[in-house]
Amino acid sequence: MEKKISKKTLSKSFHHWYYGNLTCFSQEHMQTFGYLTSMLPIIEELYDKKEDQANAIKTYTAFFNTEPQLGAIIVGITAGLEEARANGAEDVDDETINGLRAGLMGPIAGIGDSLVVGTIIPILLGIAMGMSTGGSPVGAIFYIIVWNLFAYFGMRFLYYTGYDLGGKAVDFLVGAQGEALRESITMLGGIVIGAVAATWVSVTTSFQLLNSEGEAYLVLQDKLDEVYPSLLTAAFVMLCWYLLSKRKMSPIQVMLLLVVIAFIGVLIGFFDPGLVY
Amino acid sequence: MTISWIQAFLLGLFACLSSMPGLGGTSIGNYTLGRPLVGGLVCGIILGDVASGILVGVAMQVVYIALVTPGGTVSADVRAVSYIGIPLAMIALKSYGLDAASADGQALATSFGTMVGTLGTVLFYGTATINLAWQHIGWTAVEKGDYHKLYVVDWVLPWISHIICSLIPTMIMCKMGAPMVDLIKAYLPMEGIAMKTLFTVGSLLPCVGIAILLKQIVTKAIDFVPFFFGFTLAAALGINLVSATVIAGMFALINYRIKMISMSKPAVADGDFDDEEEDI
Repeated sequence: MEKKISKKTLSKSFHHWYYGNLTCFSQEHMQTFGYLTSMLPIIEELYDKKEDQANAIKTYTAFFNTEPQLGAIIVGITAGLEEARANGAEDVDDETINGLRAGLMGPIAGIGDSLVVGTIIPILLGIAMGMSTGGSPVGAIFYIIVWNLFAYFGMRFLYYTGYDLGGKAVDFLVGAQGEALRESITMLGGIVIGAVAATWVSVTTSFQLLNSEGEAYLVLQDKLDEVYPSLLTAAFVMLCWYLLSKRKMSPIQVMLLLVVIAFIGVLIGFFDPGLVY
Repeated sequence: MTISWIQAFLLGLFACLSSMPGLGGTSIGNYTLGRPLVGGLVCGIILGDVASGILVGVAMQVVYIALVTPGGTVSADVRAVSYIGIPLAMIALKSYGLDAASADGQALATSFGTMVGTLGTVLFYGTATINLAWQHIGWTAVEKGDYHKLYVVDWVLPWISHIICSLIPTMIMCKMGAPMVDLIKAYLPMEGIAMKTLFTVGSLLPCVGIAILLKQIVTKAIDFVPFFFGFTLAAALGINLVSATVIAGMFALINYRIKMISMSKPAVADGDFDDEEEDI
């Protein structure tokens, strides 16, 4: 008799992932336990014998970490594969499933970070902050509703698509078409991040030279903006990128360096937030 | 303005739910309750001043609009930003007599938030380290075949980590907040170098968040072109975010189509090209 995962169990598995993907996080096993709790209902339904269950669960004890929202598709795919294995599919074993998990978590994390965290969340937050200027709660409520509907139904869709496609989804995700899609999404992410930086980050200088009458004849900020609007902001973003990628500094080190830069800048009058009571 | 024990406890509870391995789950906890904009609303409701809460939240949200945690590297802890930083900044604003809507008020909030957020990474690493103990219990359970214990390990035991690293620190910081803010106020006047530095740091720190994202997508110099394209759209042309996204989507679509075309008949194209070369 063909074994089939019941609707109820699939839904359970999905919700376990949706909630628990990162709840028991450690640097050693980031999302491994979230994965285990998600696969457990499926394994218990598919295998009656204790030793078969033990065999199946062992597959998912390997390290796992990806972008959890988009990563729902990987969990869905393995649910489909586990079903195939329970029905005696010969080409599905421990190695195929774990090879697939290890092979997908990198690319999915890459798209997930630039698409979900780098594009969708900043856009939603950007709109919401605009609605909340002046202290209105409307923007915050808007974000809570829209983001959660999007995250829940988006993850649900990905999980079930992964389950339906099973192994076929992998060919798409790591194949040439997937590569083209990833590259295009990264491009979209790059453009939006640029717009986010220009809209929400503002580094300005107060440096100016005065003539004998006390009038400013050189306002550095205006000169810089004539060259390229928000040049200073762009320059600081580039500096941070350089320190993080090329100098391999940690974010904390970069932040501490910015504190030093800010201190020196204030001393020489390059930065002045112009505080008054 | 003072914070009662009950208020401090509620703030601590939200800190447990919202942090990066948070107990509200990733979507609801970290990406909803952990965002300073939402944190501002929650703190505002708990402390009875929604408008100030939101204004402070918005100011801090700007800094952390693109907070990513690639591979578990955390540059700022959202539970500390949203549930320690926001309440302290609200107290500080009241104590300095600044309007939360003014530019100075926003800058003060940003500096407070980033200071606390950066120090808060200690809480993140603390939580993750304590979770190692629960994971150890989990592995033993798997070996014994006691699978249902996995649910306890993933959903229940991390509460202990959070009581230690989220609830208690948040409660103490918020209760101590008022005297601490007074202390800062007495020793660090607004016109002083220290305060000016703090404000300036607040305006520089968002660059780090953007740079972390860029690190993910930029590997060679040419990858900067899309970023500067988007930057120019917003800075020089004044196009807003949603419109910029539509334009970006159009370019992504064109890129995808070109890639697909070049893939569908590469062999033929290459062959033709080689023939011509030989003819010449």
